[in-house]
Amino acid sequence: MMRRLDLSIGLLFSQSGSYQAVSMAMRAGAILAIEEINADKDAPVFIKPAEVDPAGDLAGYVEGARTLLQDQSLRHVIGCYTSSSRKEVLPLFEKSDAMLWYPSHYEGFETSENIVYSGAAPSQHIIPLSRHLLKNFGVRGWMVGSNYIWAWENNRILRDAINAAGGSVLGERYFPVGETDLADIVRQIVADRPDFVFTTLIGQSGFVFLNMLRAAASAAGIDQPREMPAASCSLSEAELPLIGDAASGHLSSSVYFSTISSPENRKFAALWTPRFGHLGQPSADAEAAYVAVHLLARAVARAGSDGFEEVREAVRGLTFNAPQGRVTVDPDNLHCWMRPRIGRSRTDGAFDILMEHPVAVRPDPYLIWVNEADDKYGPDLRLIK
Amino acid sequence: MSRSILKNFRGLRALVIMAPDAGRDTLERTLGKLGLEVIIAESPALPTDSTDIFDVVLFDADDGADTCMDAHVMRERPLIAIIGSEAPSRLARVIRHRAASHILKPVRSAGIFTALLLAVNEHAARMRHEQEMLALRRRLAGRRVVMKAVLQLMTLCGLSEEDAYEWLRREAMERRIPMEDMARHALGDGPHPGPQKTRASRPE
Repeated sequence: MMRRLDLSIGLLFSQSGSYQAVSMAMRAGAILAIEEINADKDAPVFIKPAEVDPAGDLAGYVEGARTLLQDQSLRHVIGCYTSSSRKEVLPLFEKSDAMLWYPSHYEGFETSENIVYSGAAPSQHIIPLSRHLLKNFGVRGWMVGSNYIWAWENNRILRDAINAAGGSVLGERYFPVGETDLADIVRQIVADRPDFVFTTLIGQSGFVFLNMLRAAASAAGIDQPREMPAASCSLSEAELPLIGDAASGHLSSSVYFSTISSPENRKFAALWTPRFGHLGQPSADAEAAYVAVHLLARAVARAGSDGFEEVREAVRGLTFNAPQGRVTVDPDNLHCWMRPRIGRSRTDGAFDILMEHPVAVRPDPYLIWVNEADDKYGPDLRLIK
Repeated sequence: MSRSILKNFRGLRALVIMAPDAGRDTLERTLGKLGLEVIIAESPALPTDSTDIFDVVLFDADDGADTCMDAHVMRERPLIAIIGSEAPSRLARVIRHRAASHILKPVRSAGIFTALLLAVNEHAARMRHEQEMLALRRRLAGRRVVMKAVLQLMTLCGLSEEDAYEWLRREAMERRIPMEDMARHALGDGPHPGPQKTRASRPE
């Protein structure tokens, strides 16, 4: 039998703070993968995790990264959810020749040689969602979001698609993270009667908004889920239990839903439910963290070492049969090839999958290869080369 | 109305004038990821006949690579300076070359997209301004002949200044020629401006 390689890794996930629901699910996904690999006698590595909790605070991430990279000399860390936390710790990873395994969908426009990105890039979330909305619901949209980069960039891409389709943006408003005084904006949206509402509100703002929108629409005699759906690129199973009455009927663009039918996903769910069922059903970010740990373990096995450069070279082109289906690391930009999907939330905390891209889509963080489609529904995923 | 910015650089050819080092590797790799074709020139030697085959130039401002650059040709391209030393003597050359943006050493993958986006858009704006300036200069130079024609129309045809000017403007517009050319014609100078074109034939 081959000797198992000891692999020490760091975990950097917030267990409190404004986005704790999602980041605790991500942490859970990583822990599941670690336990699964360690329990497998044939696995080529044995993982020893060290953990720091940044508590949703930017300074906490820097402090945590410093502890893991400099005090404990770790070469690989799984972690971060928000882009601001990732940007904050990146210089430390560059300085220490270490790799951040970043398991979250994000807005793109980055390709670091010190990050492996296992979440969806914009070519895999907002582009397919734009097309779905324009094709199935109409070209008059309302955009409402939390005031930070995730909202601005997604809205920019959707706005371009709407304009190209000859449609109109009826309104666009941003609120501070955590804002729940949204009655005026909801009244305005219902009065404008858009074909869809695109929301990038995160956390509590998002939950309150969806409830208010549903209530105001139904008071105005509108069947909101069918006639004026709320769509996002981030709503996940981790959040549905927190929305309450209005949890169902919302559209979400994601590469993973807990309802995907595959042996790998059944296995993932079987591990998840007894261990982390209290966090809700498994979600895209949880799965991305699970995938990140598996990719790391495989890359280390392939390299025969946990050295930074060796692992970085070994991870290029690596594939893994993930719960979502086959995931391949792009040799060039270290993002993953994945299949975009559109889901609609149900009352039981899961999503019905409405659309599934037939093949894995190239991760295109700078939207270089996305082309204007011949039809009128905005940029398409057709690829040249 | 705001002009939409250029943000996709797929297929652009970038000339990188820089000695081989890790920074140049990062630059080359990142530009490749952004969809550009990269041509490397070991400074200070420039590849011959390379001047017309690239769309953007990145040069190391520290090692004198710029001394071999043809200032005239370079002005036609967006220039990005790679800066290590912040000594004013070096930076003065960056200014002289009118670099439209810069990247600080050590070169990281973060920041290259921004430098490229700023340089390409800034350069496009400069080119637009230059064109506008040329057009304005041409018009300014033609003012004298327009005034002369107006005066002549006033004295010979008894028109008011406003009517004379308006007549020139309308005639020029209908012939779709610059007003200065129309003025020259009215003064009996220059080539015949051609027949009046009817309004109906004007494109919408």
